[in-house]
Amino acid sequence: MQETTNADLETAAAPIPAVAPPAKPNSGLFKRNPPIAGEADAIERAKNGDPDAFSKLYALHKRRVYTLCLRMLGNVSEAEDMTQEAFLHLFRKLGSFRGESAFSTWLHRLTVNLVLMHLRKKGLNLVSLEETINPSEEDAPKRDFGSRDPMLAGSVDRVALERAVATLPPGYRMVFVLHDVEGFEHNEIAAMLECSTGNSKSQLHKARLKLRELLRQTEQTAPPAQTKEAVQ
Amino acid sequence: MTQIPEKMTLAEFEQRLPEFFATGTGSISDDPRLQAFLSENPDAAALVRDFESIVEAAKGLFEVGDAEPSDAVWQNIQNELKSAPPEDEGSGPAPATTPA
Repeated sequence: MQETTNADLETAAAPIPAVAPPAKPNSGLFKRNPPIAGEADAIERAKNGDPDAFSKLYALHKRRVYTLCLRMLGNVSEAEDMTQEAFLHLFRKLGSFRGESAFSTWLHRLTVNLVLMHLRKKGLNLVSLEETINPSEEDAPKRDFGSRDPMLAGSVDRVALERAVATLPPGYRMVFVLHDVEGFEHNEIAAMLECSTGNSKSQLHKARLKLRELLRQTEQTAPPAQTKEAVQ
Repeated sequence: MTQIPEKMTLAEFEQRLPEFFATGTGSISDDPRLQAFLSENPDAAALVRDFESIVEAAKGLFEVGDAEPSDAVWQNIQNELKSAPPEDEGSGPAPATTPA
């Protein structure tokens, strides 16, 4: 597993404060991260050195943290490494959690920052993310205004969407996961990715276009028995 | 909410779409200010509906999926914690042997 220094971790957390300012909690993320039964007690006990409480926090949040890492990285091995890093960092920083944002939100931000730092270490640190999150032309969504566009058959199947997200170019995937799945605002994403808000919006738009294209391809290649028409 | 011009080309609409989504307060396909444009431009309406379907399905992805890390991850965390005591800022606990 890649060595990560404590100084690096601090740098990773720098763009977005690990603890949100009390005056401006992200209400959207609060809504999506309701308190979990027993979590507050486990946090307090873990802060006081109770190892079982920390293991409970791991049990409560491992799947969400891992899923987030997997979606951002698209790689099981790296996702496991980053899950490990996230919980080690949580262990070290738990004392600084003041409960001003939902614990899940705090943990998600911490994880996102670690993943972004990991990606920068892999080479993205040499150029700004604003440039590197733009995928190559061949990965870019096709502009299909001007010709008749078959729309998606109806509501989007989550499994199909998950698969399509996994095949997105990394830059598109990152912005889509952060905004549409995790619920971060464009200004937050811009701060995390060190790009402009406009760039974040533009990347998200391209990501949705690309997903639409991928989902349409999936619908077209699906065997007849799996189509909505055949089911109905 | 972003100002919507009375007349737009499809290209202009697509150019503005990220802003419509970013600043809109609800469903774009139900926005009364866009109804005339969308009814005259079925491709644009289809694009909006597809985007809304994708956004809706994406919210569902936030819920926990089936994937979870292997047991080795928790084992590695324990090993790391045993070899590296907690820092001063976070008065971290001693590692437990199994996740609760």
